[in-house]
Amino acid sequence: MPPLRLKTLLPLFLGLIGVQACSGKSNLAIEGDLPSSGTAGTEVSPTCTGVRDPGRVTVHRLNRSEYNNTVRDLLGDTTGPARDFPSDDSGYGFDNIADVLSIGPLLFEKYQAAAEQLINTAWDRDIASRTNVLRICDPNADAACGRQILTRFARRAWRRPPASDEIDRYLTFISVSTQEGDAREVGVKLALQAMMTSPHFIYRIEVDPDPQSLVAHALSDHELAARLSYFLWSSMPDGELAARADDSSLHNPTVLEQQVGRMLRDPKASALQENFAGQWLYARAVDNIRPDSRLFPTFDAALASAMRQETQMFFQSLLTENRSVQDLLDADYTFLNDRLADHYGMPRVGSSALRRVSTAGTRRGGVLSQGGVLATTSQPNRTSPVKRGKWVLAQLLCAPPPPPPPGVPPLSDGGGQTGSLRQQLEAHRSNPVCASCHSVMDPIGFGLENFDAIGRWRDHDTDGSAIDASGALPGGTTFNGAKELAVALKADPRLTSCIVRQLLTYAIGRGPTPADACAMQEMTRKFDAAADRLPDLFAIVATSDVFTQRRGEPRASP
Amino acid sequence: MKKWQLSRRTVLRGAGAALALPFLEQMWPSRADADPAPPPRRFLGLYVPCGMYMQKFTPPDVGSAYTLTPILQPLAAYRNDFLVLTGLANRPAQPDGPGDHASGTASCFTATHPYRTEGSDIRNGISIDQAIANQVGQYTRFPSLQLGTYQGADVGGCDGGYSCAYINNVSWASPTTPLSKEIEPQSLFDRLTGDLQLSEAEARKRRHYQQSVLDVVREDSNRLQAKLGSTDNRKLDEYLTSVREIERRIQSQAPACAIGTRPNPPVDIRDRTRLMLDLIVVAFQCDLTRVVTFMLENGGSNYAFDFLGLSGGHHEYSHHGTSQLNLDALQAIDTWEMQQLAYFLGRMKAVQEPGGTLLDNSVVLMTTEISDGDAHNHTNMPVIVAGKGRGAISPGRHVRFASETPVANLFISLAAACGVNLTTFGDNGTGPCPSLT
Repeated sequence: MPPLRLKTLLPLFLGLIGVQACSGKSNLAIEGDLPSSGTAGTEVSPTCTGVRDPGRVTVHRLNRSEYNNTVRDLLGDTTGPARDFPSDDSGYGFDNIADVLSIGPLLFEKYQAAAEQLINTAWDRDIASRTNVLRICDPNADAACGRQILTRFARRAWRRPPASDEIDRYLTFISVSTQEGDAREVGVKLALQAMMTSPHFIYRIEVDPDPQSLVAHALSDHELAARLSYFLWSSMPDGELAARADDSSLHNPTVLEQQVGRMLRDPKASALQENFAGQWLYARAVDNIRPDSRLFPTFDAALASAMRQETQMFFQSLLTENRSVQDLLDADYTFLNDRLADHYGMPRVGSSALRRVSTAGTRRGGVLSQGGVLATTSQPNRTSPVKRGKWVLAQLLCAPPPPPPPGVPPLSDGGGQTGSLRQQLEAHRSNPVCASCHSVMDPIGFGLENFDAIGRWRDHDTDGSAIDASGALPGGTTFNGAKELAVALKADPRLTSCIVRQLLTYAIGRGPTPADACAMQEMTRKFDAAADRLPDLFAIVATSDVFTQRRGEPRASP
Repeated sequence: MKKWQLSRRTVLRGAGAALALPFLEQMWPSRADADPAPPPRRFLGLYVPCGMYMQKFTPPDVGSAYTLTPILQPLAAYRNDFLVLTGLANRPAQPDGPGDHASGTASCFTATHPYRTEGSDIRNGISIDQAIANQVGQYTRFPSLQLGTYQGADVGGCDGGYSCAYINNVSWASPTTPLSKEIEPQSLFDRLTGDLQLSEAEARKRRHYQQSVLDVVREDSNRLQAKLGSTDNRKLDEYLTSVREIERRIQSQAPACAIGTRPNPPVDIRDRTRLMLDLIVVAFQCDLTRVVTFMLENGGSNYAFDFLGLSGGHHEYSHHGTSQLNLDALQAIDTWEMQQLAYFLGRMKAVQEPGGTLLDNSVVLMTTEISDGDAHNHTNMPVIVAGKGRGAISPGRHVRFASETPVANLFISLAAACGVNLTTFGDNGTGPCPSLT
């Protein structure tokens, strides 16, 4: 790895420190990155020359999407049993952060109940339809059958070959059932349930040779396979990936890259549009917003669903068509069904399923003009240039402003004050406390004012005044409207480093730390060198040391 | 405390449609018993988001003849059953920088300063409901229940660099373990009823099987712990704690208490809230649990109460900027919240137990994460305490505490009213607060 010079690092650190410059408080710099007891970003200045610290990831509980996808691939069950689980708390913008994913009695109980239901259903289906997902032999007829079933299942459910003494312990369920006067298969089913309740299933576990050592080491091939499959598929490894772990070739970067390519082409990679893009671009949140039904009577679940799909399918198209991340902002196509086309005032596509349509010559094109982004960054009854500006800063540039200090006068909901929203916000910014951040957020959001709170085009604000969509980026670049904002954002170097940061966070399931700065910078450099093509970034992340290595931690954790 | 036995003859009608809760006296052991166990004491922590419109909440006068304010009007029928408490402060809730909703929600029942982090190093304190459950939870099938109306599927950061774990959970089993909540009335109903339908023999076999599963997975966990580092071990500790709780439940005797009919899925928040409150009453009544927390939406909720004729979101209104329009909206929302409390108190009061009503034997705490939505202050917190804790509390008054009286001291008093003695609590609880009796 070539040593990096300090000069190349400088912009990075200026960027990091500048993240919350508007707060004027250095101890708030870099949301969540530095311990809040830390004083300044300069303290952690890495040199990027010495030994890199790949960090460590806590044992990773399957979140709801991962559970659903895993049981789909493990048992062929597509009922989504985790729908009924308590929600997964998120951190760093994603709900797959190992440190945040806890377990309590409620969730444990749900795991237990789901395991029982899933195993019984799959077993019965095997009998009824003569398949052999689980029941590869008849444990009632054949004494050796139990071990075969359990060994095969554990290999898949635990994402590694089980030790034979582990299987021995699970075989004791057979005597438990026969003691109770039940058939042997009852014991086998109990053992299968227990395997799905075991920490080996519920958690993705990575074992350090020495859990107290800070020396980096490569993950085992099976651990790496699991990281990769949960990154790209939010699910367990398939047979091919497991085979590459079994033959110990996965840690070879060439093999790893081949697997990334193969897995991205697999339909299971749609997990990325749902879970990564769904959270990164807020598409997932459309299902939860509740615009005022009197002001926006056309907004309903079907429209919300179309909006979510539009952004997700759009993201997926960047991947499948090997497009650059800049296309995210100004591609000349999108995905619409009739409902969404009507909503946008565009020609119908003749289908309730979304279809790819050209946006050339229209007001749409790129994520900034997609209903999902626009609606989730609005208030229930009006647009919010503040939220939209914040979305651009936080999600696309990784430079989120801090929340407002207490005691500041907010906007009314439009009924009490006069003037356009822009005028109200301008008055808001006359307060110097507010101005430092709002002078950054609002002018970005103003560029999207031609889209109302549910993403429809409009030429006039609610008070009848003509929309003024002129705005400016922090660097001083000015623009008018969404299209020009997109052009300005495309040129912002923070765009590529930000998606690196977002994707790495999602990929490893932990927040980036200052120790990751060098690695992220190197990934950004490689990404830019690859013309910022999105599929390449997945390979760059997956082959990075941060992804393929780990270390232990000191005995007494802080 | 003795285990409280329900009579096997008793059949309660539960949560579904028609809710009739008469004849509770029948549940009690025969009056001829030499030493009848007193009825148990129950605790409900009811959380509502975004503070309170204090000017329309705070009574101008104190004592038992205080004036009911507009927001308290829905509670008029129960004015002798609750205390209005003002002047209490939750200083530990003060965030490091912004993030009052997250840190205020996390601290709401812990009175502990939450550590500001997006993910790694989540650290809060044990919540008061869990401190109580640690003592009384052993007597019931569920040591405690955590309920809510909204899961919290928010995207992006939650609040000012605080993990969403802080804003979505008020119950904390330990400084590092928030307890996630159940929001589906049907799922709660299914958990409460459990295997009550099974025959004695079926139930025994099922217990044996479940126990054998727990034995094996506990062994897996123990073996893993020997190989993992300290943070990983903390995660597996959460797992093992859960295993132990389920184990205890399996071994506990199912109460002879029919829960009633399975509720239909709720249509909206009104429905969901009512069904949850109904099930809490039943869970208390059947002694399935003695400790519950219920979050009526999550911290900083921006719920749009369209059925109140409001077009904006709760959080947006709460930053009222003294605009009358916003304040009117807040008053409507806060009043609606009090209507829910009034409904619950009515249900609790309708249940007769020896020596009083179910409400008399309970402690109901209602509070929120901040005081005024605009100021985001953690002083002069709006607090209501209902019930008598079997005589430990004398309701029917407005008590104004000296400012800066720690809410943690109230928690110590409420724990005592539930039979749990704590000498300290949270960051600044040093002893019981005065004036509750």
